[in-house]
Amino acid sequence: MTYEERWTGFEAHIDGGGMVEAGDWMPDEYRAGVLKFIEMHANSEIMGAIPEREQIPGAPSLKRKMSLTAKVQDEVGHAQLLYRVAEDLGKSRDAMYWDLVSGKSKFHNVFHYPTFHWGDAAVIGWLIDGAALVTQASLLESSYAPYTRVLKRICAEEQLHLRHGEDITLELASGTDRQRAMLQDALNRWWLPIIHFFGPKSNVDKDLLLRWRVKTRTNEDLRAEFLDRYVPKVLELAFELPTPVPFKDAASERWVVNDEDIDWAPLDAIKKNQGPETERRLGLRRRSYEDHRWVREALDDQTSQAA
Amino acid sequence: MRRSTIRPRRRPESLVEIYEVFRRSGHKQPFEHCGSVTAPDVGMATVMAKECFTRRGEGRHLWVIRRADIHTWSDDSLPDPAADKSYRFAHAYRDVVKKRALARSRAQADAR
Repeated sequence: MTYEERWTGFEAHIDGGGMVEAGDWMPDEYRAGVLKFIEMHANSEIMGAIPEREQIPGAPSLKRKMSLTAKVQDEVGHAQLLYRVAEDLGKSRDAMYWDLVSGKSKFHNVFHYPTFHWGDAAVIGWLIDGAALVTQASLLESSYAPYTRVLKRICAEEQLHLRHGEDITLELASGTDRQRAMLQDALNRWWLPIIHFFGPKSNVDKDLLLRWRVKTRTNEDLRAEFLDRYVPKVLELAFELPTPVPFKDAASERWVVNDEDIDWAPLDAIKKNQGPETERRLGLRRRSYEDHRWVREALDDQTSQAA
Repeated sequence: MRRSTIRPRRRPESLVEIYEVFRRSGHKQPFEHCGSVTAPDVGMATVMAKECFTRRGEGRHLWVIRRADIHTWSDDSLPDPAADKSYRFAHAYRDVVKKRALARSRAQADAR
């Protein structure tokens, strides 16, 4: 069979609702696209653990410190699951880790921003995890089968994280004026990055990942679902959302924002790894990579001794 | 962004291997594949597997197996057997209801 014939067969398989396993034949473009997508997801889990870890010392009680620590462990665990899936597509974990710490590969925009106080833990845990869950739930229908299997586990844990974030949010929202001010301050800073989180409008004709059902829904579709689901929840607690200010569309009766109100410049900078905290956070990752080198080497030594 | 000047040190061929992990929540359930870990030996693989896959008490029993030791087989043509083998399935015996009615009427006729 020629490459073209295999390609045609592959597309027919996908169009017929077929799934793909790691050992199956797939076009190089599919392999590279899925690998890059899952690698970015894995990077984001492990980089997302850093801003959350920064919150642990400032958590208001021992219980909050413990639950946040457990959440950070979950995020690192997600990275482990995802790196394993990505590795089976042909890139070593060492290479992926190296590309991350040297700034060659990417991680999600929201983890390029600083955190200041416990209000950030609330907004990250509730709205950012909420946004992530909308995206990840759509990926459960992805054509790459090994990815959907780990996502099942990841989504279950993210559900818990969402509840945990909502719990922190509601505690602040029903607290003192100062606690409410903290939450409002965090919302003011995080709103635009959350809108960016879903990415710019998808190019449906050119996006191979959409065509091959690696991704199942467009960026704007996912953003619309998030807005309609979460805006009313924020507003009913009597908080304000800054530009792009959401409003209820008269025709569709859904909560939306005007596309013209979205300033994409900050996201463009982050795509070049030039976000406000990019350098410092990657520095932390680089340091832990170096500090833990002896562990990786000791693991290898152990085998050579046993052999 | 400024690139780091640290380069990864070239190590000799890594001895770390892939281990597949299977988990069972109790004696009434079968073992199910739940993921994989990388480790230099089976002892360390078990430590990793416990941390990764049983943090919330999801599993009481684990199997940890070197991927290289697993033999796999799959065949997409499996659902279409070459010959009719419907007799291997319960639905082939659905007319047992009709047959029971027939046998009953026969028994009643005999009794008369």
